[in-house]
Amino acid sequence: MLAQANAQLRLTSIVRAIQLGVVVILFGGWVLITSSHAVNPLFLPGPLAVAGALAHLTVTKAFWGAVGVTAFTTAVAYAIAVTAGIVMGFFIGRSPTLTAAYRPVLAGMFAIPITLFFPLFVVMFGLGPGSKIAFGALYGFFPVVLNTIAGFAGVEPLFLRSARSQGATRIQALRHIFVPGAWPVVLSGLRIGFFITFASVLGGETLSSASGVGHAIAHEADLLDSPPMFAWIVIVLVASVALNLTLSFIEKRAVRS
Amino acid sequence: MPPAITVDRVSQLFAGSNGAPDATALDDISLDINRGEFVCLLGPSGCGKSTLLNIIGGLIAPTSGGVTVGETPVRGPLPRDVAFVFQESTLLPWYTVLENFRVSLEFQDRKTGWREHSLAALSSVGMEGFANFYPSALSIGMKQRINMARGIALDTGILLMDEPFAALDEQTRLVLGEDLSVLLARTGKTIVFVTHSLAEAVLLADRIVVMTARPGKVKAIIEVDEPHPRSPDFMLQPRFSEVRNQCYELLRDEIRTTVDAMREARDARAG
Amino acid sequence: MRSAVRPASPTVIRWWTIAGLIVLWEVAARWFGDPAFVAPPSAVLRALVPTMFGDPKLTQALGMALIEMVTAFVLAVIAGATIGILIGLTTIGRRSLFPFVLLLFGLPQVALLPLFILMFGLGPASRVAFGFSHGVLPIIVTTVSGMRAVSPLLLSSARSMGASQAQVLRHIIFPTMVASVFTGLRLAMSLTLLGVILAELFVSSNGIGNYTQIFAETFKPASLYALILVLAVTAVVLNELVGLVESHFSRWKQM
Repeated sequence: MLAQANAQLRLTSIVRAIQLGVVVILFGGWVLITSSHAVNPLFLPGPLAVAGALAHLTVTKAFWGAVGVTAFTTAVAYAIAVTAGIVMGFFIGRSPTLTAAYRPVLAGMFAIPITLFFPLFVVMFGLGPGSKIAFGALYGFFPVVLNTIAGFAGVEPLFLRSARSQGATRIQALRHIFVPGAWPVVLSGLRIGFFITFASVLGGETLSSASGVGHAIAHEADLLDSPPMFAWIVIVLVASVALNLTLSFIEKRAVRS
Repeated sequence: MPPAITVDRVSQLFAGSNGAPDATALDDISLDINRGEFVCLLGPSGCGKSTLLNIIGGLIAPTSGGVTVGETPVRGPLPRDVAFVFQESTLLPWYTVLENFRVSLEFQDRKTGWREHSLAALSSVGMEGFANFYPSALSIGMKQRINMARGIALDTGILLMDEPFAALDEQTRLVLGEDLSVLLARTGKTIVFVTHSLAEAVLLADRIVVMTARPGKVKAIIEVDEPHPRSPDFMLQPRFSEVRNQCYELLRDEIRTTVDAMREARDARAG
Repeated sequence: MRSAVRPASPTVIRWWTIAGLIVLWEVAARWFGDPAFVAPPSAVLRALVPTMFGDPKLTQALGMALIEMVTAFVLAVIAGATIGILIGLTTIGRRSLFPFVLLLFGLPQVALLPLFILMFGLGPASRVAFGFSHGVLPIIVTTVSGMRAVSPLLLSSARSMGASQAQVLRHIIFPTMVASVFTGLRLAMSLTLLGVILAELFVSSNGIGNYTQIFAETFKPASLYALILVLAVTAVVLNELVGLVESHFSRWKQM
């Protein structure tokens, strides 16, 4: 009977209904709480106020200025992290000795909250994007290098031996076995690295900066001006989700090919 | 004396998923299993033998027909009468071997004297030295021995075994098979054993129930006239080969049917 | 034929590299570094004890930070396990609510830091809250994932032996869940530490953030480095402790 198929469909629709319900309750709750003034509008401004602030914000030059700074900082930091991470990861991952020597060190360093070192970067590079670029690059370097090492170290030695026995040169082995074998793990490291770089740039801007999105959020908080602060937060959250979906999509496509 | 197990016109229908048609796993199976008998359910993959075993043990309710154990109709698990030994180890990984026994006997509502009882069961398979080990420290063969020991410790009249030796190598299979035969001779338990290995069926069973490809029916019942305990030397006797060939003749067409059906299904999915 | 040369041992390579870098740091800092911003390791080590114990207020701030970290972590584990169990208990609950959790997990919470300070003030409460909010999510994620993994074979086997629902819950479902909560512990500790540290550094009027600012502005790099070193060691120790707890309770898993 179609009983099984029907049961599946019903399950999916109940799930969707609940999810829709959650969103409605959260949004409805937001409207209710703020319009009844049950909560200090400083902590939670109403949806209209946020929407208004959002509209005002996105047309100002300051807005695009801040977004530009953050985007630029993230891009440069990420480029540095990826280059350093892949190069180092490749050379270490290729050699079992080097992997055994350095992988634990790198993993251990990553386990320390690197945020602790941020004040050092500010001391050395000042309040400008430089300190955030250095900080973001350092933070993002680790997932890239660790995943690259894992990727190259994890290439099945059996495949390599089989290729060598068929007469493959080192370059051929590299191109046809090493790189494709390591690729999925490296790619996942690139994705994780991006988000860590992005989050650490934002963090740095929030902690000590004169520009950028993070600074804007902290600034509005300083001014006790909640609607624009919330507007910024919404922008950051939406951008994160969009970036996450995009990168996941790219990763899936890249791995399949 | 009533048979230990009576299977009465059992059929099992599985609802099709995602628009596929319903599948008949078992078609009108009737079978009597006597006390102290070792019966093998032998058949190609997917013929429903595991399903039949689960129905006998009360883990699945049949779509039609019923099973009686002794005088009692089966309406659910019968922990005091029926013990299962599955293909994979069902020892709880977060307890030691001995703790596993304690918990199993607790499920069965047996609390007193569990320790001696468990250690005795472990000794009968030679595993008493591993009582305080965690399952992750043991090999597959050792775990299956302990699984068997637990089945014994539960002290039921009936043991239902679903391809318990499938994951083991040939030599371990022979040894454990011999142990099982010795156990049968000593305790007079009734054993129903699912396998798709012809040699194993002939080596261990008093009667072999040969099943057809899906939908599973009883094709034939072959008697193996050799007293328990049996030794692997039985395999050297001409009688062994005869029975084995007999089973093969019966199974050959069923296996072919099953493989063809699998090919069709695969081509249908790919196309 | 290549001569059989034994490759250098990884441990040797590792420690020589580390030693080399430290020496490099020492030399570079002394000879090229601006003493206003850069301190060599020898100066940092000398500043360690005076920094930690010299100023009682700083010692207090360090102690407070430690308390905040532990509190946030414990709260995160309790709340995370509870929420995770509730979500993962039913298929419907899991399918509908888990995507929301995963969504939250991927967001840069640092954007919310100023908001947390507004809501919870400049004191320890905001640090604990921010640390909690970082640590609770991985626990929920691992708990829910772990609940999916209850083996149907184990359940059948238990049923066949006559286990009651309560016995199944106690001997099969509960241990599976506990095991899954434990896999998330280390990550939860790392993230909790991150949250607490971010919040501490953000507030410059008291706590650790106050001292990082003071040391930076009064050009005392050795003290600043020493402070960071102390916090880094604390973080490592806490991580290791959690790791130990995890492996103790997972010793049945190892091999």
